[in-house]
Amino acid sequence: MSNKMLIIGCGRLGASIANEASLAGNSVVVMDSDKKAFDRLSDVFSGYKILADATDLTALEDANIKTCREVVITTGSDNVNLFLAHVCDKVYRIPHIYVRFDDPDKGLLIKEFNVEAIYPFQLSHDKFVALKSQEAKK
Amino acid sequence: MKIVIAGGTYEAEYIIKMFHSSKNSLVVINSSKEEAETLIKREHVAVYVGYPWRYFVLDEANVHDADVFIALCEKDTDNYASCLLAKKCFGVKKCICVVNNPRNVDLYKDLGIDSVISSTYLLGQSVKSESSVEQLIKTLSLENDRICMIEAVVLSKYRVAGKKLMNIAFPKYASISCIYRDSRIIIPNGQIEIKTRDKLLIVCAPEDQNKVMAFIQQER
Repeated sequence: MSNKMLIIGCGRLGASIANEASLAGNSVVVMDSDKKAFDRLSDVFSGYKILADATDLTALEDANIKTCREVVITTGSDNVNLFLAHVCDKVYRIPHIYVRFDDPDKGLLIKEFNVEAIYPFQLSHDKFVALKSQEAKK
Repeated sequence: MKIVIAGGTYEAEYIIKMFHSSKNSLVVINSSKEEAETLIKREHVAVYVGYPWRYFVLDEANVHDADVFIALCEKDTDNYASCLLAKKCFGVKKCICVVNNPRNVDLYKDLGIDSVISSTYLLGQSVKSESSVEQLIKTLSLENDRICMIEAVVLSKYRVAGKKLMNIAFPKYASISCIYRDSRIIIPNGQIEIKTRDKLLIVCAPEDQNKVMAFIQQER
């Protein structure tokens, strides 16, 4: 089944998720306020690009956010990501919301929300610990 | 009162000046070192340098259990994140969030911020209430627009002029809280007669404002 997905923030992470989702046959919309960010999308990307500031709700509505099944939030600002995650859950009731936070403390503010958070810091830390323990076993 | 002032330049300076007294304990946080130095020099307050949306900054600046938290940063989302953090993790009683985009006023309130202020929004509200009423009637909104106070001057052609309050069947959804007559204040009861040139102060809900004004302005 095809899946409508909105990706907010077309940085390295956002663009690579967009490319993969598009290749897998999903209907993908990517939003960023910087036109150059779309250069990161590959030639296989067949979705829509919207040049807009996502903190303006009109832009989200223009992107038909209400019909999305998944929203992935990966802008460069944790505060913008936090706000968008809250809006996607409380205002638009999106079934699946994924958000990236550089600051792990942001997790304290999404506890009661239907939001999945990704913390690059935590992932790097866990990977380091795993590598160390592998080394110790050798 | 324990007041936290987060971010801001001249607005922060103004607020600090207003509340800097022995009665209040101020916690000032600013992310710019230069701005912090200016505030220290001009207002003689301690300024904690850091981002008010970071947990450790609010923790180290000790905003725990503050009465009021005012977020004055440039970006709306920074103020949003700071206010929520202060409210949810530090037990701050009331958060005031300043925003540039007037559309964020209702949205941020719905998302849990106590009070959201936008100068454009206030300007719009004030123009709206000024233009919806005639010259002799002024309105004032209280409690974030949930209570409306109407000030109406009684003209001789109005039906209510010269009548006792008990005889005019004043609408139930509004109340004349005070009559201002010849520089005197009268707290009305049923026996009081409304006279020409009286200034009536009427309290009602904003949605009833137009009905109340129409009632007062009925002519004989």
